[in-house]
Amino acid sequence: MATPSTEAPTADPQGPSAATSALRPPQQPHTATITPLPPFQPDLYHRAWSSIPHPSLPLLATAHAKSVTVFSLSTFTKHSALTGGHARSVRTVAWQPPRGSNKKRLGLVTGSFDATAGLWSYDVEGEREGALEREVRLRDNDSDGDSPEDDREWEFNLVLEGHENEIKSLSFSPGGQFLATCSRDKSVWIWEDVSPSDEDDDDANGDWETVAVLNEHEGDVKCVAWCPSRLPGARALAARRRYYSAECLASASYDNTVRIWREDAADGGEWTCVAVLEGHEGTVWQVQWEEAEQRRGKKFPRLMTCSADGTIRVWSLKQDEDDEAEEGDQEEGGFNNNPFRGIPNTMRRSLREEWECTAVLPQVHTRDVYSIAWSAETGLVASTGSDGVIALYAEEEAEEEEGKDGENETAGSSPPKTTWRVLGTVTGGHGPYEINHITWCKRFDPGAGEGRGKEEMLVTTGDDGVVRPWQVRIS
Amino acid sequence: MEKDLENANPTILSVSELPSRRRKGPAARTGPDAGCDKIVFPKHHWPYGATSSSSDEDEDYAEEPLDEQDIYGTRPCLLFISRRTRTFSNYACLIDLISPISDPEHPHTLGQLSVVRLPDIHLTPSPREVSGSNSLVTVRVDLTPTINHCSLATVIGLAVRCRLERTLPPNYRVDVRMKPGSHDQDGQVNKQLGDKERVAAALENDALQAMMNKMLGACD
Repeated sequence: MATPSTEAPTADPQGPSAATSALRPPQQPHTATITPLPPFQPDLYHRAWSSIPHPSLPLLATAHAKSVTVFSLSTFTKHSALTGGHARSVRTVAWQPPRGSNKKRLGLVTGSFDATAGLWSYDVEGEREGALEREVRLRDNDSDGDSPEDDREWEFNLVLEGHENEIKSLSFSPGGQFLATCSRDKSVWIWEDVSPSDEDDDDANGDWETVAVLNEHEGDVKCVAWCPSRLPGARALAARRRYYSAECLASASYDNTVRIWREDAADGGEWTCVAVLEGHEGTVWQVQWEEAEQRRGKKFPRLMTCSADGTIRVWSLKQDEDDEAEEGDQEEGGFNNNPFRGIPNTMRRSLREEWECTAVLPQVHTRDVYSIAWSAETGLVASTGSDGVIALYAEEEAEEEEGKDGENETAGSSPPKTTWRVLGTVTGGHGPYEINHITWCKRFDPGAGEGRGKEEMLVTTGDDGVVRPWQVRIS
Repeated sequence: MEKDLENANPTILSVSELPSRRRKGPAARTGPDAGCDKIVFPKHHWPYGATSSSSDEDEDYAEEPLDEQDIYGTRPCLLFISRRTRTFSNYACLIDLISPISDPEHPHTLGQLSVVRLPDIHLTPSPREVSGSNSLVTVRVDLTPTINHCSLATVIGLAVRCRLERTLPPNYRVDVRMKPGSHDQDGQVNKQLGDKERVAAALENDALQAMMNKMLGACD
């Protein structure tokens, strides 16, 4: 490999000094300026696959080679590392949502080409509330992170074995009850955390059980993603269709399709494929759910996919008037108290769902689109891929207003099509190298000024082993 | 042992018949094999990242496709020339990079077996149009397997992709495919060879890695 470039082509290595505005784009964003911030240190030198921000703490976990490096988002330097758990490259990583009494430790799961997933934990001393946050902050204030204790705390606790080949992606359900893993062996596995809820912290390994092995894809499964089931739209549907549990999983595959999976609560918790999304003409590399809740109200979250065919698509669930009717106060009820639970299969509605492609984003990329990021804050979408281009898109607001409250829709008609606009692009984001992953994450660096903890930035991960943050300015 | 071969009697070209620029290259080169070595271990700093390289360096190491029409018509060639000294600081000819790869089941090279052929190597855009070291160049290599059901097609394709990715600068994107109609499952093989993740995982497989090393052994 040639020496990786440390400077982006348009690099302005100077961090921004007055990053205050642009926490939220104005109503109709027109253009975006995407400027590189100084990359995370140290440089990893070899291909890095993906970087996943912690949902609340200023930490970013990057999967590369056989390990994971955790960076601090406050200092853009190394915080800690997970090494020695896998025989082959770590492809992907996910932060474990805190469950029960486990709030005093960090949990990470790694998915590796060695066909296993590893559960790791990072214990934080002290029992007090908020100890974790303090610990992370303290470490950030350490000089340069060269302290000899740097690698001490991550412990490899548990290995999940079952897949025959490389694990490509994994994802926790919003409450952390389920973990989905997917592999080149064409299967998706769902694991359930069955640890006793009053578990002592010292025995934090947890017990995991396989609850489903889903074999319907005809090729490698590239990505799995759980629906943000706590959003009102998702809860409303789960409540209306009582035979569903709240959780819903999407998987993207080498077979060019996306599949939607739900647990059929009436059928002994059997997981079934309720929809196949067809339209891409190449491997679907990633699938992501819409999380910006204010945009959708009671509608079920949409999906976005990116593919080797160079396109990015948005998919919407076709909901009938029944589904969209105003809900009572039964959102939280769940299926356990469900009065219809004993109704025989033949009496129930079909589980089958109809999903439609409701938008194709303007095509920017000339080669595989490896990764997309859909902001939960702003609804803006960023994409990247083999061509090294970073692109930012916004959805046009106009049509949403016209089609408001189903005026243009007759009962059971198709969900409205929307259009998207390119706000800005960066070419050669990692010099001549491919970019494997892009994500939104909150800024915690001093350069963010008053936007610290609120303003969003992009982070890209490339074949050059560089993890680079980008400041995004909307005007 | 012979009867296990997928193709027991391939057509073999003698080494002297092969199109190559190795033996008849410009006199300024230091030796026939030096070219590849210099690409593998470039002695100069690649001018990636425009801000870090002075305009001097840019000029110095610009790609200059001087030899597009040489006696063999080897169009897909790149020359990395120092403009200041007018000597070749680096030299690459795509066919010479992949032609010496050994066939996995015959004691011959892919060039000798006509699995890789000069007219089936394409560069887009042509080096003349490339504006800088960050501009993408796509190399497409269409392979002709010796017989149309050769199960080793994927392995051969992997070796070619691997060889080119290891030797070419990082702004090159390598697409290796089976020549249309030359292989029963060319669609399937092409998709596998185009999948970065599968290629990366395959190269971590010890058995395959050993095979790759053997096939690529003659190249360096």
